[in-house]
Amino acid sequence: MKEINELILPNDLFYTEAHEWAKTEKNSVKIGITDYAQDQLGDIVFVELPQVGDTFEKGSVFGSLESVKAVSEIYMPVSGKVTAINTALADSPELVNQDPYAAWIIEISPTDLSETDTLMKKDAYLKQLKG
Amino acid sequence: MEETIKYTPLHDWHLMHGANMGSFAGYDMPMWYKGGAKEEHLSVILSAGLFDTSHMAVISVKGKGAFDLLQRCFSRDLAWGKKDGKDASMTGKCVYGVFLNDSGGVIDDAIVYGVAPSDYLVVVNAGNGEKLASHLRIHAGTHPVDIEDHTDKLGKMDLQGPLAGRILQDAGAFSGMDIREMNYFTFKGHFLGNVSGPSINGIPVLLSRTGYTGEFGFEVFMKKEAMPAIWQSIIDAGEKWHILPCGLAARDSLRTGAVLPLSHQDIGDWLFLNHPWTFALPFDKGKKGFTKPFIGKDALESNMRTHSHVTYPFAGFDLRKVTTSKAPSVFTKDGKKIGNVLTCVTDMAIGRHDRTIISIAEKNTPQHIAIKGLSCGFLKSEVPLKPMDMVTLDDGSRKIDVEIRADLRPHRTARHSMDKMMVS
Repeated sequence: MKEINELILPNDLFYTEAHEWAKTEKNSVKIGITDYAQDQLGDIVFVELPQVGDTFEKGSVFGSLESVKAVSEIYMPVSGKVTAINTALADSPELVNQDPYAAWIIEISPTDLSETDTLMKKDAYLKQLKG
Repeated sequence: MEETIKYTPLHDWHLMHGANMGSFAGYDMPMWYKGGAKEEHLSVILSAGLFDTSHMAVISVKGKGAFDLLQRCFSRDLAWGKKDGKDASMTGKCVYGVFLNDSGGVIDDAIVYGVAPSDYLVVVNAGNGEKLASHLRIHAGTHPVDIEDHTDKLGKMDLQGPLAGRILQDAGAFSGMDIREMNYFTFKGHFLGNVSGPSINGIPVLLSRTGYTGEFGFEVFMKKEAMPAIWQSIIDAGEKWHILPCGLAARDSLRTGAVLPLSHQDIGDWLFLNHPWTFALPFDKGKKGFTKPFIGKDALESNMRTHSHVTYPFAGFDLRKVTTSKAPSVFTKDGKKIGNVLTCVTDMAIGRHDRTIISIAEKNTPQHIAIKGLSCGFLKSEVPLKPMDMVTLDDGSRKIDVEIRADLRPHRTARHSMDKMMVS
């Protein structure tokens, strides 16, 4: 189990209370799970992905990560339409454990980019983890 | 009520080795180590894994009335030797069974060790030592029996996997012993050191050909203070054999694939009838009655013909599972609810070739089949089902189709002989 000070938490990401990260790029947002989440879940052995074109509201479930321990739902940090899914995760779900920030899960076209204002930056997320 | 968290003698070792810790039966236990539960599960199938199981409880039952007490309380007939006119003693043997209450429900499952004709050890699940000890004391009444609960006073570890014997040999455990005698469900030595037997680092251990993974291996009992040194010796001896320390997650998936129940999840305070573990009951040859009286017998007998709930093993078609904490239900193909799921895990060592389950332990697995794991577990149905019947499990957020099976992970090694497992 990683100590809080061992966790990798990049500065340029937004974070959710449910341990997703969101990275804004021009007109899109990439979404994945944090180092804390992958460490808690343990071996991720299956990733259930949505389909390109699906739309989801902020806070709704768009997929799930199956670890040896449990099935964990993944929630939308912001509302939007899925524009790409990381197909590499179908054969190699362990990429999420190996590098949770390189292993993005979906890319979306956000409905309203200002929704990112409600997300946490690194310091606030770190504060949540420290309880 | 706030409960104090308990620690095993290896707690510091687990933390130093990056274990992901979790609470189990009041103990802070390793769930998995750095490599993850999948690798640990596979190591027990292919090489060896070492589990800290010192959270489990050991009770000693001694004295002139010890045999009669266990014969009355335990679900197995411990007097099987008598019929050939031999001594009824089960010295050197281990027997798996359950302790039932008067209503035929399970208090706990256990292994009884025959140390001497009037000296037994009873190994039960974590947190159940005092409960079982007091159950035995009540039923001992005024009979001459001395019952002692050794909870938190002993160390125990399980070394499981096909290379377990070679690792113990390298750790020096077998010196001066004829290891060919170490048959399945027998044991040698004692942690008190009062009999000649195996030792590690010069420390006497009780070594049994048992475990709870379905694979070849041993349980090792020692005095609590000796545990860290013995654990390290086995880890060191096992390094060249690719031993891995394993947590409770791998233990859970391994035991499920081996069709072994988890007490208070797959068996519990309900009638111990109609399940895959009827070998734990003292049925007579015709399977219509029992070979001895025991606590719970009347309740089982009076319900035997009418009790309709049946527990079955099942296997899915890929590794996706349902979440047991969401209380998943079992449905027939036409949507009728017929039961509930007791355990659902992924056995990462198995896959499918059509409707046949195959294991990574098989030497001749078809090359084109990638084994990625299968969900499996136990369900309780209100209607009779048969192997290969299909049902749907639904936990509210996911539905999976599964098949009723007579057995789960094939090619298990638990019963293999020492001769077979000690040659390379």
